[in-house]
Amino acid sequence: MSKILAIDTSCDDTSAAVTDGLVVLSNIVASQNQIHEKFGGVFPTLAKQAHQENIEPTINLAMQVAQLDWSLINAIAVTVGPGLAPALEVGITQAKKLAIQYNKKIIAVNHLEGHALSPLALNHSRKRGKQADTKVNLPSLAVVISGGHSEFILVQQLGQYQKLGQTIDDAAGECLDKVGRLLNLGYPAGPLVEKFAKKGQASKFSLPKAMTMQDNFNLSFSGLKTAARNLITDLEKQNKLDQQTTYDLAASLQEAVFGQIIYKLKRILLSPNLVAGTYPKRDFLDQIKNGQAPKTLINEIWLGGGVAANINLRRKIRQLLEKYQEQSGKKIQLKVPYSKKLCSDNAAMIGLVAGLKYSRNEFAKLDELDRKPNLTI
Amino acid sequence: MQILKLNSNREEIIKAAVACLKNDGLLIYPTETVYGIGANACSHKAIDKLLKYKGRRQGKPLSIAVTDQKMAERYVEINQQAAKFYKNFLPGPFTVISKSKNLVDSRVNSEFGTLGIRIPDYPLIVEIIKTFNQAITSTSANASGQKRPYKIQDIFEHCSTKQKALIDLVIDAGELPKNEPSVVIDTTLSTPIALRGSLDQNHHHTGQILWSKSANETSALASRLMLNHLNQLQKNGLIFALNGPLGIGKTVFAKGVAKFLGIQEIINSPSYSYMNEYAYQRAQTKGTFYHLDAWKIDSQSEVELLNIQQLIKKNNVLVIEWFQQIEQYLTLEQKTTLITLDFAESKQKRKIVISES
Repeated sequence: MSKILAIDTSCDDTSAAVTDGLVVLSNIVASQNQIHEKFGGVFPTLAKQAHQENIEPTINLAMQVAQLDWSLINAIAVTVGPGLAPALEVGITQAKKLAIQYNKKIIAVNHLEGHALSPLALNHSRKRGKQADTKVNLPSLAVVISGGHSEFILVQQLGQYQKLGQTIDDAAGECLDKVGRLLNLGYPAGPLVEKFAKKGQASKFSLPKAMTMQDNFNLSFSGLKTAARNLITDLEKQNKLDQQTTYDLAASLQEAVFGQIIYKLKRILLSPNLVAGTYPKRDFLDQIKNGQAPKTLINEIWLGGGVAANINLRRKIRQLLEKYQEQSGKKIQLKVPYSKKLCSDNAAMIGLVAGLKYSRNEFAKLDELDRKPNLTI
Repeated sequence: MQILKLNSNREEIIKAAVACLKNDGLLIYPTETVYGIGANACSHKAIDKLLKYKGRRQGKPLSIAVTDQKMAERYVEINQQAAKFYKNFLPGPFTVISKSKNLVDSRVNSEFGTLGIRIPDYPLIVEIIKTFNQAITSTSANASGQKRPYKIQDIFEHCSTKQKALIDLVIDAGELPKNEPSVVIDTTLSTPIALRGSLDQNHHHTGQILWSKSANETSALASRLMLNHLNQLQKNGLIFALNGPLGIGKTVFAKGVAKFLGIQEIINSPSYSYMNEYAYQRAQTKGTFYHLDAWKIDSQSEVELLNIQQLIKKNNVLVIEWFQQIEQYLTLEQKTTLITLDFAESKQKRKIVISES
């Protein structure tokens, strides 16, 4: 096993973690959410300044919690992209500095790969009892749903990824955050939308489920955003945007966002040839009766990203998988990160990707290490 | 090269000019705006020669000069909007864009399959075209990127011997009054849009109002604005500042810009990460497209973090959504071209107010 000190400064959060293989020894996120809330939805993030102030204390705390000395660290991992260039720069500079200071190898990590593999992370305190969970049954489908990303990634081998689809405009989490802000729910509004949705009736308002007419695995949320804005404007004009209506709207919004994800997930499971990216035909869908659905090559679904923390989304995916099992006889396991912290931006997921790269000898050259703001998977 | 002074025999000028055009030659001629360069718009050979003379066009379309609307109809489809415009403004210093019937050499059309038509308010030139009985190109006579040609000297001072050797005939009318180049009007969108110059010369900074009925139209608008600002792009870069509520089509506009630049990647909203960047190459131009979103920003220090001023340079395009969030913190250089688009929703359509500074 290899012990990794990992750093992530891809966007608003400064994070450092220590991992040992898939086991998370520490995972510190100097969250700036508290700063955001203080300003009541209007939220200076002060990203770079905060990263620079936070980076060293965050790393020191990660080492302290892991109870490790630098001599036991095998390599330093850092997110090189995608993300905001000046923010990435802070993490990369620090990683280089530490690599030289302690004479460690350096590993460059794609932030998206971190989210994709985050459901594989193992909790340090429970690692002995749960050895069964470490078994990975490939191929799997990584579903990354966050404020910055919405992607479906086919994982045939660890380290080998094939993007099946992605959002063509807004990320799912962004849509929840933005419409939530119109409902005066602060930032990020996503978690509050989830709470409100529980008290509301999703059938109260019908919001459009986009992309159902597009024969591909992509997602789109901009039309939904427009429809929600118009609806909110109308309700405000009529003075009808009261508490219960806000709950109902939150439920309807969540239903529309998740409905689209589930719709495309189902198409992925029913694809006659996923490796070629073949979208199932409409008449083919109609013919599916119990026990007649094709068996997909996917054995597991890994749900990562900030929105992966949403219980409602998890439940919807489980329901889909149960139904699929009835139709095809194939059982697919849903894996989710073991904590909320692992869902949002964090360095532990970067560490576990680095652990795998370490065993494959994939190291970065110090002088070639550079930020890649628009890195894809 | 032959130079004929305007005071020479009129019949002789017309005869020489028509002979030059028939021979796939290049003709420099005066108009009510600047000196133009004419070549047979339907001849591949003549357009070859013209493009060789003009130099790097970077995908800018040419336009053609005709005698009247009837002749224009040979080359383009004139819709109701265009017909109205012809009636009220032509002949005159306007170039009216319509859908091309592809009779001209393909390089004369724009990449959108449209073609600009001009009817010069200059009887001698109209007579030449009439006698030639074919459309001629009506691009300005300077080599690409050079000074506006108000006199023959302006042209020759700024071109090489090689370029000069390509010119067959010059009609020299002396120094022309310093009128602005023609205003370009695009009638293929649902609202006519002035691509160059302003219909009201005294109100350059007041917003021009446009209506978009669909995402496709908003995207097309972005491409047209890009096409028209290629010169500014290649000089100092461009900024599009977008304002307007959630879900109004700001990202759609950004997608239109990216499409114009030939960027293949999917353009996602940059709200979460503040800024996405894409390298592009269009014709011979290489640069970077920065897609910014100020939705999460409202402090000076964050704006500083994005280093926006440093991104604004030759061949770079910035599209900034929620621009009003950062406007007060941003000091732009005088030379920077800032195009502001204010989006609003009105009766199921998008109202877009465009102003430039």
